Amino acid sequence: MAISVRSVRNGVLVVLLLGIPFVLLRNSTKHPHEMSAFDRSVRRIGAPLEAAVSYSAGMLGSFFERWVLQARLQDANEDLAAENRELRQRLRELVALQEENQQLRRALQMRDKVPEDMIPAERIGVDQSPFFRVVNIRIDRGSRYAAPGMAVLSADGVVGRIDKIFDDYSDVMLITDPRSKIAVELARNHAQGILMGNDEDSCVVDVSKDFTVEIGDLVQTSGVDELFPKGHPVGQVVSVEQLVGDQQRLYVSPAVRFDRLDVVWVVLANAPEPDPRAEDGPPGVRSRGLQPIR
Amino acid sequence: MPKTARPAYDHEGFSPFGDPMLRWLAYVVSGWLLIALVGGLADVMHLTIMLPATSAIVVTHVAFARGTSVPFGLSVAIALGYLEDLHQGAPMGTLCLAHAFAFLLLRWASARLHLRGWILRGVASVFAVLLIDVLTWAVLFTLSEPLGLRREALISSVSDSRWHALATMLAAPPVWALVERVFTLLRLEDKPPHQAYWSGQ
Repeated sequence: MAISVRSVRNGVLVVLLLGIPFVLLRNSTKHPHEMSAFDRSVRRIGAPLEAAVSYSAGMLGSFFERWVLQARLQDANEDLAAENRELRQRLRELVALQEENQQLRRALQMRDKVPEDMIPAERIGVDQSPFFRVVNIRIDRGSRYAAPGMAVLSADGVVGRIDKIFDDYSDVMLITDPRSKIAVELARNHAQGILMGNDEDSCVVDVSKDFTVEIGDLVQTSGVDELFPKGHPVGQVVSVEQLVGDQQRLYVSPAVRFDRLDVVWVVLANAPEPDPRAEDGPPGVRSRGLQPIR
Repeated sequence: MPKTARPAYDHEGFSPFGDPMLRWLAYVVSGWLLIALVGGLADVMHLTIMLPATSAIVVTHVAFARGTSVPFGLSVAIALGYLEDLHQGAPMGTLCLAHAFAFLLLRWASARLHLRGWILRGVASVFAVLLIDVLTWAVLFTLSEPLGLRREALISSVSDSRWHALATMLAAPPVWALVERVFTLLRLEDKPPHQAYWSGQ
């Protein structure tokens, strides 16, 4: 087989080229920790090239990292928004609990301050007018504890009287009910009268023109009817109407927000009269019974 | 069996000017850039996986290219091996020798095989990187005493070759396409890309 010059030349070149790695390996085994001048020059030439590539790779990496970071920030944002919603919901619940706690504390304070025999009752239902005014409330005290006509109070003032009794609950007739009558007086000058229900959110009381009445005067129970304890707030005078004769009509806004009642107190018995012989002997029997106005 | 006529685009021998030199520079510079790019990206992204052997892919491309001669391709392989030695800190000449022998074997295979499509090119690159790894391991194992290497460490590193091969196979299509694109831009490739290589006898 004829061998061309080209093949011979290629073969020689291949052998020469294969000698290069062997020479490099031989130098490496003899001087494993030294770098030749050629190696150093190649590194020096390639350094700017590698620096440019590393810089570009760094830019690309930082862009990718920024994009990933934004995705992570978005995930973190969504997690925080969900946590925020939960915390807000819990905060609303805690605020409601706080308000309920304050109401209960006020009710307990009233219980401590008022000498009458009372039992607490929870409002379990309301009846509302077409204008969303509360016209009737229902409490969780039935025939076992309450009787018709018993006074119902709250920490803010007079609520009304028990109207109907059922086994486990009772209906309370509010002071704004047209059938309601309560003996009241003005706290400032003790002008007395009978408070009657007028409409869904006001009452009226007629007092003598001998007494000067001002807008904002406090109206409280007088205790004359021996049903409601004396001195409990009923409402405030919002307007005065001069009637024919010697009477003047006062329009009273109730002190109690009937739509915000949670706990009320049912008066079982009024406090006894102070014993004129209190210094001489022991105090008398506490309870005296009920006498509603007819 | 009659010899087939040499294609007119067959570039034999070296020429200090013109297409062969430019082609040589294109191969070496592309390989060098790929070595730096892979290392730079791995460093920036804090990658801890096995990186692909882009030089093996370039050597495979050279071996199966139609417009190259054996000395030409061998010089490219030795140059890329030398650059790999510099970058990886291996004893100088180790990867040089491995790339050189890998090229010779691939060149022999190119006379009998026809690479078409990305899958076959990926398989060929995997074969090339496995060959380079085996040859490198053999050289280091043989010269472990003069070079001060522990043979136990060399034995334990054999199992990493599969990940090296997987990474190279995944990187083969884009690297191959990049090299062909470079040659197309430099007008060094005398055929459109994505066609079968020479399967001469």
